[in-house]
Amino acid sequence: MAAVQTEQVNLTINGQSVTVPKGTLILDAAKAIGIDIPIFCSHPKMAPVAVCRMCLVEVEKMPKLQPACAVYVAEGMAVRTMTDQVNKYQKGVLEFLLINHPLDCPICDKGGECPLQDQTYQYGPGASRYDFEKAHFDKAVPLSDKIVLDRERCILCWRCTRFSEEISGERELALIQRGVHTIIGTFNDEPATSNYQGNWTEICPVGALTSRQYRFISRPWDLDRTASVCPGCSMGCNIQIDARHNKIGRFQSRENVAVDDSWLCDRGRFSFPNFQRKDQERPMIRRNGAVEEVSFDEAIAFTADALKQAGGQVAGWASPADTNEEMFLFRRLFREVLKSPHLDHREGSVPDTDPDDMTLPIADIERLDHAIVLGGQDVIDAAPVLHLRLFKSQRKGVNVLKVAAGDGKQALDIVPAEALAVGVLATEANKKAAMDLQDKLQQKVKGSVRRLIVTTGPNGRGAKDLGILPHFAPGYASLNGQPGKGRVDWPGAALKALYVHESSPLNAFSPSDAESMWLPKLPLLVFHRFKPSPVDAMAHVIIPGHAFTEKTGTVTNMEGRPQRILDAIDAAWIREDWRVFMAIANKLGADWRYDSVSDITADLVGALPAYAALNHGERVRWGERS
Amino acid sequence: MPLARATVQRIQELAARYPSKQSAIIPALWAAQDEQGYVTDTAMQEIAQHLGLPASLIEATASFYSMFLSKPEGRHDMVICVNAPCMLRGADDMVTYLERQLRVRDGATTADGAITWHSTIECLGACGGAPMMQVDHRFEENLTPERIDAIIERLRKEPAIHRAPGKKADAAAPSAAPASMQVAPPRVTEPAAGPPEPVKRKAAPRRKRSET
Amino acid sequence: MPLKPVLTKDFAMENLEQLAVYERAGGYTGFKKALEMQPDQLVEMVKASGLRGRGGAGFPTGNKWSFLPKGVYPRYLVCNADESEPGTFKDRYLIEKSPHQVLEGILIGSYAIGCNLAFIYIRGEYLPQHEALETAIDEARQAGYLGKNVLGKGYDIDIILHRGAGAYICGEETALLTSLEGYRGEPRLKPPFPAIKGLYGKPTVVNNVETVANLPHIVNNGAQWFKAIGTPTGAGTRVWCMSGHVNRPGNYEVENGTPIRELIEEHGGGVWKNRKLKAFQPGGASMMVLLPEHLDVGLDFDAIAKAGSLAGAGGMMVMDETTCMVDAARRFVKFFHHESCGKCTPCREGTFWMANLFDRFEGGEAREADIDLLLEIGYNIDGRSFCPLGDASTWFPRSVIKFFRDEFLEHVSEKGCPFKKPAVEAVA
Repeated sequence: MAAVQTEQVNLTINGQSVTVPKGTLILDAAKAIGIDIPIFCSHPKMAPVAVCRMCLVEVEKMPKLQPACAVYVAEGMAVRTMTDQVNKYQKGVLEFLLINHPLDCPICDKGGECPLQDQTYQYGPGASRYDFEKAHFDKAVPLSDKIVLDRERCILCWRCTRFSEEISGERELALIQRGVHTIIGTFNDEPATSNYQGNWTEICPVGALTSRQYRFISRPWDLDRTASVCPGCSMGCNIQIDARHNKIGRFQSRENVAVDDSWLCDRGRFSFPNFQRKDQERPMIRRNGAVEEVSFDEAIAFTADALKQAGGQVAGWASPADTNEEMFLFRRLFREVLKSPHLDHREGSVPDTDPDDMTLPIADIERLDHAIVLGGQDVIDAAPVLHLRLFKSQRKGVNVLKVAAGDGKQALDIVPAEALAVGVLATEANKKAAMDLQDKLQQKVKGSVRRLIVTTGPNGRGAKDLGILPHFAPGYASLNGQPGKGRVDWPGAALKALYVHESSPLNAFSPSDAESMWLPKLPLLVFHRFKPSPVDAMAHVIIPGHAFTEKTGTVTNMEGRPQRILDAIDAAWIREDWRVFMAIANKLGADWRYDSVSDITADLVGALPAYAALNHGERVRWGERS
Repeated sequence: MPLARATVQRIQELAARYPSKQSAIIPALWAAQDEQGYVTDTAMQEIAQHLGLPASLIEATASFYSMFLSKPEGRHDMVICVNAPCMLRGADDMVTYLERQLRVRDGATTADGAITWHSTIECLGACGGAPMMQVDHRFEENLTPERIDAIIERLRKEPAIHRAPGKKADAAAPSAAPASMQVAPPRVTEPAAGPPEPVKRKAAPRRKRSET
Repeated sequence: MPLKPVLTKDFAMENLEQLAVYERAGGYTGFKKALEMQPDQLVEMVKASGLRGRGGAGFPTGNKWSFLPKGVYPRYLVCNADESEPGTFKDRYLIEKSPHQVLEGILIGSYAIGCNLAFIYIRGEYLPQHEALETAIDEARQAGYLGKNVLGKGYDIDIILHRGAGAYICGEETALLTSLEGYRGEPRLKPPFPAIKGLYGKPTVVNNVETVANLPHIVNNGAQWFKAIGTPTGAGTRVWCMSGHVNRPGNYEVENGTPIRELIEEHGGGVWKNRKLKAFQPGGASMMVLLPEHLDVGLDFDAIAKAGSLAGAGGMMVMDETTCMVDAARRFVKFFHHESCGKCTPCREGTFWMANLFDRFEGGEAREADIDLLLEIGYNIDGRSFCPLGDASTWFPRSVIKFFRDEFLEHVSEKGCPFKKPAVEAVA
């Protein structure tokens, strides 16, 4: 496709020349040359509304001050952002905003990261001339089980209501009343049900919308911030883990335009209590029915011995929340050392996976003519932030069709033959139907038909890529030799041992009925996990491991994008999971010499060159057509 | 209380009439208020349902406009203007007189449920006939104490007047105000002046006419 | 100078609101004549007539029409009957007395711009006027002036009458369109202007009631006839709404350029109770106060602007020597506070603050510094608000401070209103 030549516009801001594409807002042109214009209502993901009036600047030849957030640049424009008039007015508008703002900053969760507070320090008046009683509104209104609303702090910037209308499309939040009485709220103050409410707290420029989970937990300057990836699902939304005193305070979004477009869903955002560690644990061994605490070295030695006795009749399950590095070693332990092909990461049995499951990158949904969501809400439930991408696409003109898994025909009829870019989205459970529809569409339409299968867990895709499957080698290559048995077949497979590795309570190993019958009879169950679970009772060895939020490595999202996660919480008394794998392997005769996770990553990329993508923030491409 | 079938039918007609069904929100709110005397939460939910829009949007609109009532009122509605053109011709005195005659304060309903009165700063468009008021949305101009007496006397006897413009078939008399509404302390005060009541929101009525 | 009525010349006729009577007075001949013309000719004719919008801003009507982009349909004409400016009541009068004149104007305008569906947005408080229009629309439809293929000329036109529900802001054209779309009546960003993206995102013209009421007369008598009335930059007449301290308040249609003195002294019968004139306010609540020295200014957009106020929507509020100017300003400020939509910060918070300060003056607790504080607040609202409502909320009070600062000082020194009448008891 030929690059579209964008017309450039020249202007000056505070006398400094700048050239930007036509259609740029004054605000963004200023940002491009490092000139800060204060804003409240303006948000890069939403259409300009120019309601807060904070960003007014002088534009030559225009009699009134102009909102930089809503006026587009023009050739020869001369903008001034620091004149006496502008400065005086900025003090004026902040004084206005503060007359009915409670200034309860000392008890406000937003204090320290509050645009109103920051801008008042930078641009505002030192004191207010307002000496009447402030308007009173309800405080600490429980807007839902997740959010508290303080109506006095609200400065009516409309960001949350616009999010509700433009970003999530749910139109659940609205402006009620008018004038100085205006408030935001849901219909009749009924509890909000949106799955995207956490975003309201992040875009709120004051402490009006705050998280109940984070209420009075920490001051922002006391937080340790770690860049990571959300453990909630296979979307791979980028997050920042904010912790205080080695305890997670909250997950915040961290923009990755290609993946999350700066948003999180509540299921992911508010999932962090699952990752809080309660006690310091030591490994445990069950001997003759009694459980005893042992050292890591003892547990490793015991496990190695026991696995050896199983003589290859051993299965391994790695959770889809494990890192690629862990899976890489886990697989080597089984195939190379234990000589067992019985590997899996799945809950049950799902159709075969293949690289074509991710020919449609998430961000490309916006560039489709037709996006077919096969299974409708099931797909959204599996990866809620996809809804925001689909809604954005819809607003851009993409025809988003949500159909039941069995109603592919309906979509087939609607999509016209001249369609140039069609996408099919489905969960793994509906993969067969999705492929069927894709084939039929491909026969009908002129353009391309791609699909995106939503995987399970934050690294379900990585597990498939790395061959944590009984019938694939890494990179979807065929196995040398016999395929192993998948998880559903293990109870009847005369196995002697099972090694379960689990990193997230959200992707736990939950025994099926058949497994619950089988596990107590199994001679050896090694349970290497982050959190105690009912499986502990059946395990012969319990090795404490790190949680998703405590480890470093990479995970691969549904579209095949490996991304780094970092340890936000220090649990150093627990031996890193990969070191445990390495120690067991070396006890059994291997000679692995990894000193750090990055050594493993390098080895992984060497073995699977497609994974070099992770060094460039790109998707892994398995020779797909692009 | 759910909307009467005729009201629902009217809302559906309205939705079909405009190029966008959302345009039917205000007429639909009128239809609901005309039937029930004020806009109930149930009515807003029903309107939302019939127009296929979120209920929050209906409340957002309903609460913006001062003529939509969020609570029941008396059989008759009296709104007296105190904006400058009326003030110049003695509106304040008329307000004082009206308050004394009705023996209830601004925004309240008389003990017999006959009249709810408000003063308003929103000009009602009859400055040439100031002082003036609207009674059930009809103009009463060039007010004098005698005219006010005559109006009150008439209203105490008259049943509620259906306020819908045009299609009046689906009329139903609004219910009288419940006892809790009948605030009756006889209180005669100088209107206006003095610091205002601090603004208090939520659960505050959607109508803000009582502000002077 | 005697009254030279154009719009109101037949208003003495009994039952003029009825179609048959209106037709007897020459009604709908303008529309019939218009249908014989090409739409473009009509636009040119209205441009040539010099007709300027009567809603407040005085923008040339023909030019407004010609901004519509070529070839984009549907397009809408919306008649603004949301007359809510305190001190104005002319649209109400025009509708009440001759609803068909308004309809005929809408039909002509719609035909000129190529609109097949027009709207009348009437304020909720105008219930009797709503009914008058409703009846007139029914009559017009039955007579074949409305509907498919009107008068056999192949033109389809219908009118939807839409009732507001109490919001001054909806008189602002973009807020009116937002309200007509069912939302809260909040103004929209311009650009895009309604001519490009208006109602339902389509090209839209918003014209005031009095503006469209002029159209039948322009079509009937020609652009040159209209242009000859009034002043070079203010063709035609205007209906002025006289209120306050005059002997005969009411609506008076006078030729543009007529001195204000004539309107107040002759038509209005002069200041009442033989008192002296203190001040007057043309235009409506938004506009700046003028003084007796301005009585010889002509009633015309440009002349009044030159004198330091604006003709606005045609109000003429007269204040005699007993008027408390602080209280007059207080009422308007409270009005703007009440009617602020809350969308932008300066108007929402600034009018709230000003209202508090004015109450403090009337309540006798104000300090001298509060006068300049009012001016400062005004400075931070005017030109900074999202829409003209915010700006306009400051014009009258600031002009009153300019001319009557003494009265504010008296409120401070006397700890209350020096004009307060002890007459309250006497009324009863």
